[in-house]
Amino acid sequence: MEFIICILAGILFATGIYNLLQKQLLRIAIGTGLVSHAAHLFILTMGKLKRGQPPVIQEGVTQYTDPLPHALILTSIVISFGVTSVVLVLAYRTIKENNTDNMDQLRGTEYE
Amino acid sequence: MSNLAVLPIIIPLFAGILVAFFHNKLSIARFISKVLILINLAVTAYIASVVFESGSIILETGSWPAPYGIIFVADPLSILLVVTTNILSVACLFIAPKLVSDQKESYYFYTFTFLLISGVSGAFLTGDLFNLFVFFEVLLMASYGLIVLGGNKTQLRESLKYVLINLFSSVVFVTTVAFLYAVVGTVNMAHIAERVQEVDQQGILTTIGIVLFFVFATKAALFPLYYWMPHSYIVPNPVVSALFGALLTKVGIYSILRIYTLIFDINMDMTKTFFIVIAGLSMIFGVIGALSTTNIKLLIAYNVIPSIGFILLGLALFNESGLSGSVYYLIHDMIIKAALFLIVGVIAYGAGTSDLRKMGGLIHEYPKLGWILFVAAFVLAGIPPFSGFIGKLLLLEGAFQSDHVIIAIVGLLTSLLILYSVMKIFIYGFWGEKKENFVKKQMTGMLFPIVFLLFFSVLLGVGAEFIYPYIETTANYLLDPEIYINSVLKE
Amino acid sequence: MIFAVLAPLFIALFVPSIGKLKDKIHTGVFVFFVPFAIFLYFLQFIGTNFTPLSQTYNWIPSLHINFDLYLDGLSLLFVLLISGIGSLVVLYSIFYLDRSERLGQFYVYLLMFMSAMLGIVLSNNVFILYTFWELTSISSFLLIGYWHFKERSRYGALKSMLITIFGGLSMFGGFILLSVITETTNIQTMIERTDLILNSEYLPLALGFILLGAFTKSAQFPFHIWLPDAMEAPTPVSAYLHSATMVKAGLYLVARFFPIFSNYEWFFIIVSIFGIITLCWGSYMAVRQTDLKAILAYSTISQLGMIMAMLGFGTNIAIFAAVFHILNHATFKGSLFMVAGIVDVQTGTRDIRKLGKLFTLMPITATLALFGTFSMAGFPLPFLNGFYSKELFFESTIGLQAGSSSISAILASIIPYLAVIGSIFTFVYSMYLFFGVFGGKKTKEVSLPSKPKEPRIGMLISPIILVLGVITIGLIPNSFNQTFLAHAAASISPTANVETIAFWHGLSTPFIMSLIVVLIGTILALTRKSWATIYNIFPGRLSFNHVYDSSIKSLDKLSNKTTNTYMTGSLRLYMIIILGALVTFSFIFMYNTDGFSIDFTDLASITTIEIVVVIAITVAAIGTLFSNHNVAAILILGITGYGVAILFVLYRAPDLALTQLVIETITMALFLLCFYHFPRLTKRNESKSTITFNLIVSIGFGLLMTMIGISALSSTWFDKISEYFIETSLPVGGGKNIVNVILVDMRGIDTLFEIAVLGLAGLAVFGLIKVRNNKEAK
Repeated sequence: MEFIICILAGILFATGIYNLLQKQLLRIAIGTGLVSHAAHLFILTMGKLKRGQPPVIQEGVTQYTDPLPHALILTSIVISFGVTSVVLVLAYRTIKENNTDNMDQLRGTEYE
Repeated sequence: MSNLAVLPIIIPLFAGILVAFFHNKLSIARFISKVLILINLAVTAYIASVVFESGSIILETGSWPAPYGIIFVADPLSILLVVTTNILSVACLFIAPKLVSDQKESYYFYTFTFLLISGVSGAFLTGDLFNLFVFFEVLLMASYGLIVLGGNKTQLRESLKYVLINLFSSVVFVTTVAFLYAVVGTVNMAHIAERVQEVDQQGILTTIGIVLFFVFATKAALFPLYYWMPHSYIVPNPVVSALFGALLTKVGIYSILRIYTLIFDINMDMTKTFFIVIAGLSMIFGVIGALSTTNIKLLIAYNVIPSIGFILLGLALFNESGLSGSVYYLIHDMIIKAALFLIVGVIAYGAGTSDLRKMGGLIHEYPKLGWILFVAAFVLAGIPPFSGFIGKLLLLEGAFQSDHVIIAIVGLLTSLLILYSVMKIFIYGFWGEKKENFVKKQMTGMLFPIVFLLFFSVLLGVGAEFIYPYIETTANYLLDPEIYINSVLKE
Repeated sequence: MIFAVLAPLFIALFVPSIGKLKDKIHTGVFVFFVPFAIFLYFLQFIGTNFTPLSQTYNWIPSLHINFDLYLDGLSLLFVLLISGIGSLVVLYSIFYLDRSERLGQFYVYLLMFMSAMLGIVLSNNVFILYTFWELTSISSFLLIGYWHFKERSRYGALKSMLITIFGGLSMFGGFILLSVITETTNIQTMIERTDLILNSEYLPLALGFILLGAFTKSAQFPFHIWLPDAMEAPTPVSAYLHSATMVKAGLYLVARFFPIFSNYEWFFIIVSIFGIITLCWGSYMAVRQTDLKAILAYSTISQLGMIMAMLGFGTNIAIFAAVFHILNHATFKGSLFMVAGIVDVQTGTRDIRKLGKLFTLMPITATLALFGTFSMAGFPLPFLNGFYSKELFFESTIGLQAGSSSISAILASIIPYLAVIGSIFTFVYSMYLFFGVFGGKKTKEVSLPSKPKEPRIGMLISPIILVLGVITIGLIPNSFNQTFLAHAAASISPTANVETIAFWHGLSTPFIMSLIVVLIGTILALTRKSWATIYNIFPGRLSFNHVYDSSIKSLDKLSNKTTNTYMTGSLRLYMIIILGALVTFSFIFMYNTDGFSIDFTDLASITTIEIVVVIAITVAAIGTLFSNHNVAAILILGITGYGVAILFVLYRAPDLALTQLVIETITMALFLLCFYHFPRLTKRNESKSTITFNLIVSIGFGLLMTMIGISALSSTWFDKISEYFIETSLPVGGGKNIVNVILVDMRGIDTLFEIAVLGLAGLAVFGLIKVRNNKEAK
């Protein structure tokens, strides 16, 4: 199963990147969402899957799933949420200011 | 075991929170900022003296023993960089009231700056790979806050690219940490290092190391990953540019330095060659970029790239001269880049434009500024007796010692072109006749922070005798990863 | 000695404040005493029983960079030249520079230069030498650009700096090599370890590096091009830096390292060839110039070439002659520059076509020029020092010991001829210079901006002293020999010595060569107009100036072009480059280190429900690519998010699942909030190649990650540290939910700063929205 999740995460990465390479800002934003999901799936898988009970101490249970990746993912999810919200507002403002959502028209090499 | 190691992170964190309450009372916020950054500098200097006297300070947070809890390691390398960070932050915070508009200041400029400092210091000090990711996010988020401050069209446009590229590399970073965790079952850097050595870095580990290198190289703006950097570094306020130019890319190259001295084997032929080639290309393309533009801010931003190349070169050589050179160059470059970004910021302010073609004869109005730039240009190019010279001398010595002649020649030529690119500003901006519609601006108080930075640059060169022993200690320390591993794990 | 070196630099600090008094007393008056005192101090070392002197002051001992000073004959010669000519130049400048000029700056630069130059010739440490070397380049740059409002000055300053610093850096490279080979930074110790250098495989490189430094500084062909443009500097500077001292630093360098390299045949070949070509080319070009100072500049180039060639020959007589000529050249060329300055000031022009017949108007100046030019021409008269060294030069060209290779044999046979040719042109331009300005038939006064007369006496003092030097050396050459010149020659090569310098030693070959020069030279000088057209056929502008100009221009242009091809501001391009590099090199490394491995043991079972979720997520992820509606696309993204949450549930991560659900929902809301009103997604109409490229990059990256992931899972060689967390969570951490204990306790710092990130994000968003509101309010 681990390998299947690896492949799934790979697919999420690939589609995410494909979206990131687009011109329209919404697609790019969607791409960022996809790559974050991919990363979280990878972290989870790297602790191996289904190796025991949920990591909450219970009498009589000796096997728990690896808790560390869970903790790392939690941190990571919250951080990505923060970043995503900044990206979204920034994208929103950029589109408003520049009157376009097309990255090709947001190239620009002139300043001030 | 001492709580000292966490202070350089905690003080700015609290400072940042504290000044947030005074965002409407700028005079208080400014005052607090100045006082706290000076306190922080004093504290870090004290920590540095302790570290060099009695060895690394390891702090196991929450008393969870390494390698299980998060640890902070104030070792020679990290503490040197933290002190340098604070030195240039002092200059930036003292010049900020003059160069940053009141409106921007009141939108949490100081909070972002302090959190940036906190994140950078954390990244230098942490001994935990995942925690390094968290600190990267702290400093990146602070930088996002700073780069969008002001919110004009071009700024938003370039900020967006900056944020997206960094977001991507962070995602790859965290994934790579997970991969490493799968293989070695730990996220503590010393522990990772120990286990990677134990299995001789076989199998997938080298590849993971390279992916990690790319993650950091993207942040460090090495060839061919620097494309996002120059344009996004020049859109914000000059003070912000100075902080970015001096700190952000350096955190990237620091991380490369750290993981490739500690965890991964730099002496593998393939890696070594790869790094040297990357270093050389960074020098060449960086300086080509600098020559390509007449925008003085952009010119300095491009100059960030070759210096990262120099630092990487020293790492790749991995001998005492080379590593000393890298460390020397790293510290030298943090200070002089901050100074140069501030200088061109002040020049652009004084001239009313950052286009070199529209400048001229500034020396008549701003003679001091002109000479400051003149000195800074030589510092940057590594002309003796300034700081760049010692770094370059050590790096080239290292290159010749290990028979890498071509890269040494590239390094020499790059130095010449760097000098040329910066002297252009002096010759075309300061010499010659004044332009017609020129309006003289007030500059009181702007030059002092810059002179403060240049003072350190000169000190690093002229007073090398006092500084070099620390650098040498650091280099020898880096050459032997066992010291780090033992100090963390065997206490 | 260190005081002598650093005194000018130190005093330079006070010059700006003295400069404020310039209305009362010319700043130069104060400055004059500095070089003069140094001159007097070093004068005491002259004598037959001179022995080298060395001193050391620590600077950076841990890097072996110390002020090792060493005064031997060679250094003494240069020190006296620097301080002696320096005094005269400052004296001259007092009358040359008007008080309305920025005198403070001028003298600061000049004193800076003086320190630097003294430092070069007294340093016994390669890196100190290099430090001072660059300082001379910098002060020369500032002095050339002194009148920076002139475009030509800026051009000349930049050019000289680029070329000399290029050479300086190259020399620096050579020094590092030598220090790595010999493990010392001390020049004398290096000389003792010559064998190490001669046996090193880096010998050619080290020689090349150092010679490049010397050739650029001493304006050797083809690096000579900066010197004529350096003439934009005020004339005292030209006399001092660009004729008497700084340009001789290259000669000094070659002489200093002569003991190391002289046993290496290529040293002879390269130095001789460059020297002799420079001699010929410089003198040939000098005849073509119309600006007085340009003639002198090319003449300097040619004379430097001659000395360089002699150092290359390396025979006893050649070394001695080289030393002798360094002294002689300083005297006659210094005086000629000063004369040129006088003519410039008095007539208002330096254009030789406008000048003529000044002899009657300015007899004293003309007399000085007469001695200077004829000495330079090597005219056989007993009171002209130039003749003696020219004779010695001819003598040294004859019968050169041909080395083993055929190149040196050929070289040895043609050098005498080239020497004569070069000297003929030297003769021609000397005559051209003198008669063009002071002689001539027509009175051209009409065209002059001002009516010429003799200058103030002060301006004449310095050139008079120099011309007296020319005559004295000419009359009693031998009294300079054993006390002074012999020491200098001996410190280059111990056996180099000439017993007596005689005016007449029979009808020897050198004398015949001199006669030929005078004869043909006179004929050519008289008929100059008729053959000068040769310069149109054989263009002097074949020139390396052109090469320099176009290379600087193309450097700027090319870098602009290269940079603009990739710095397009396109995010897609940046991403493609970054990803492309990452994917390519990671695969290369993976392939070469046998990184990929796959191991099917120890895997979790596969259940239907998991497969269903996985397929759902896959479909949704791919679906995002094809959705052309804002809301639909956002919702499809939501499906992947919720799918991941379900996976979290399946994989027994309840905390994760909850968080993911909440966060995903908020994110969806944010997405809709930000994008609902925005331009609709349009069909992706991209070219085939764009699509292919995007596909390759994204699939490549996905594949890379999957492969690393699989390999990592197949190489779990160690126990996880999480065992510890499971064991200690309850007893030490005091919590049953291990993940929570990790978050708030074991990795509490992560969580603390994660909150900081969220806070910062909030502030950033606040700023983003607020600053706009203010703008709209306006």
